[in-house]
Amino acid sequence: MSIKVFFALLLGRAVRLLSRLLHRGGTDMPGRLALKLCPDLLTRLARGIRCVAITGTNGKTTSARMIEQAFSDRGLRYFANRSGANLVSGITTEFIMNADLLGRPRKEYAIIECDEAAAKHAFGMLRPEVVLVTNLFRDQLDRYGEVTHTLANIREALHSTPDTLLCLNADCSLTASLAGDLPNRVVWFGIEKGAAPSRPQPEISDATHCIRCKTEYAYDYITYGHLGGYRCPLCGYRRPKADYAVTDVVEQRADGSDVVMSLRGKARAVSVNLPALYNVYNAVGAVAAVTEMGLDAEAAAEALGRFRCGFGRMERFPLGSAGARMMLVKNPAGCNQVLEFLERLTEPFVLVVCLNDRSADGTDVSWIWDADFELLSTLGPRLEKLIVSGDRAADMRVRVKYAGVPEERTSEQRDYESLVQTLEKETRPIFLMPTYTAMLELRQVVIRHCGGAEFWE
Amino acid sequence: MELKVCHMYPDVLNLYGDRGNILCMKRRLRLRGIDAEFVRCPIGSSASLSGFDLVFIGGGQDFEQQVLLDDLHRGKDREIRAAVEDGLPFLTICGGYQMLGHYYETYDGRRCDFIGAVDLITVGSDVRMIGNYKFRCEPDAGGTVVVGFENHSGKTRLGSGVKPLGKVLAGFGNNGEDGTEGVHYKNVFGTYSHGPLLPKNPAFCDFLLATALERKYGRAELAPLDDRAELAAHDEMCAKL
Repeated sequence: MSIKVFFALLLGRAVRLLSRLLHRGGTDMPGRLALKLCPDLLTRLARGIRCVAITGTNGKTTSARMIEQAFSDRGLRYFANRSGANLVSGITTEFIMNADLLGRPRKEYAIIECDEAAAKHAFGMLRPEVVLVTNLFRDQLDRYGEVTHTLANIREALHSTPDTLLCLNADCSLTASLAGDLPNRVVWFGIEKGAAPSRPQPEISDATHCIRCKTEYAYDYITYGHLGGYRCPLCGYRRPKADYAVTDVVEQRADGSDVVMSLRGKARAVSVNLPALYNVYNAVGAVAAVTEMGLDAEAAAEALGRFRCGFGRMERFPLGSAGARMMLVKNPAGCNQVLEFLERLTEPFVLVVCLNDRSADGTDVSWIWDADFELLSTLGPRLEKLIVSGDRAADMRVRVKYAGVPEERTSEQRDYESLVQTLEKETRPIFLMPTYTAMLELRQVVIRHCGGAEFWE
Repeated sequence: MELKVCHMYPDVLNLYGDRGNILCMKRRLRLRGIDAEFVRCPIGSSASLSGFDLVFIGGGQDFEQQVLLDDLHRGKDREIRAAVEDGLPFLTICGGYQMLGHYYETYDGRRCDFIGAVDLITVGSDVRMIGNYKFRCEPDAGGTVVVGFENHSGKTRLGSGVKPLGKVLAGFGNNGEDGTEGVHYKNVFGTYSHGPLLPKNPAFCDFLLATALERKYGRAELAPLDDRAELAAHDEMCAKL
């Protein structure tokens, strides 16, 4: 071991200690500074650790937590970048904290979620055993550019890891195209035709034309967005057969889903402890990744009924007399899935939408017009109250006005302290829909009022 | 009164909340009791623009650009050029705006022929012009201050015979150099402003609708609406810039 590595590790740990003393997360800075001192630190620390990496537009954190539950159920020694610090610096911080000062790993496994743009640098250093790609949707265009650009980033990232096994979403024509020109072994996951009622083609789809030849796709069925059974009438590019498939969505409840999965041909009933169809995708993707890491599929499937996600992903809080759920939204596709979840609720509820436009949210808020907030206008009295908040509350207010939500049911409350005080008196279930930086702030205030874990815990 | 609006290429030009512009026009017409028919004209649809009173073209991704150009060059380009000269009102945003020009030259020098309906060209640069911005429309384009969001790497230059839509007050506009934003030629309004453009700029939306109504009926009476929410969003961003 070089002396540089030792000092980089020492520096990283010192910065982390200082951050925690100052009540900061210290999830990013330790890794960032340590990498300055020793640029190949992550490569060195990742050697000898069996890593599963998760990337894609939506569902990274939830999929990672599902995988984590399976690992912890089996008593495996692992660590994860749990706090959403998913750039190279944040990932490095986790590796520093899970190595001794000689750079020797303290754990056997790492479960790492990785930002789509950062994957290009991170994957080569991590050399993951398995990479799970959840899906690709248009997302924060000012930051990532168009979705085919993100796809190219991930492809480039995977070029540096030919030995990695890929778990790819078969239903996403963009994600699935990664398999074509890479030497990697691939397993597929997806939701089969007929498992859930097919939806009409959305007004706005992120992948209407064949990624190979630019001919318009034909669809056998659509689960949501551009996901489903696509095929290109000209070049024959089509949804591959899924090795890990959801064959039946038996019931979608407000607190979870019951589904049947076919895991490498073996049928099994699975209960997913999180509601909404997008979490069914996360679940089957996680089972695929866990199984391919060498655990048995049964254990992986069982973990899905037990795990709790947290950190703003359908996270529960004892706020108000009926409780609250926080549902992070970042882009039209994810937002639409949350809105569809709300549409299924039968009881009246209170909705809070917090829209920020800081760099981690995307500075361009035009995406709210691509999301189907019109669904809210179909809820009638079930949407008892709608509160808009965040730095761009005024824009959100215009959006819901045009979506047809009655203005007398809409109000604006920017100060989180008074917002949470108002919510404490609510008797209806509360749903909080913040963008990323709004989630971090609002979550702090909610936790101060009713308890919960700090974000790095 | 009735307006028939063509939403051109909603299948591929729909990138930056452009749907909000359609929603906005629909709502503001409906509240005034003006009938409106919005017709989606995707790739492969009939080229004819006859019978339409207004055409909207949004922005899109580079990925589908060739599909789009192939479709345009199957007759829509001629139809659009004739309609523009005939004074048909157009609102075109970002990619839809660039598309009306003669060509787009990429940063590495490849030239992509557009339709040449308006005398302007766009040249790619190595920096993207991204951010909230505002501009003041020229008096003959309504004279109002518009706020929006721009995200483009192409620098647009107007020909000598056409005027800009407005002057940049904050941000980049057409090219970040000459202080112009967008184009106004006959009844064509082109701009880089998405965000989307119309909901937060109700005065500009009404100006556009009035232009279409006047052309069709010789007059336009648009009763004032309750725009408090829209103007609050407009003014808040205006003050920040």
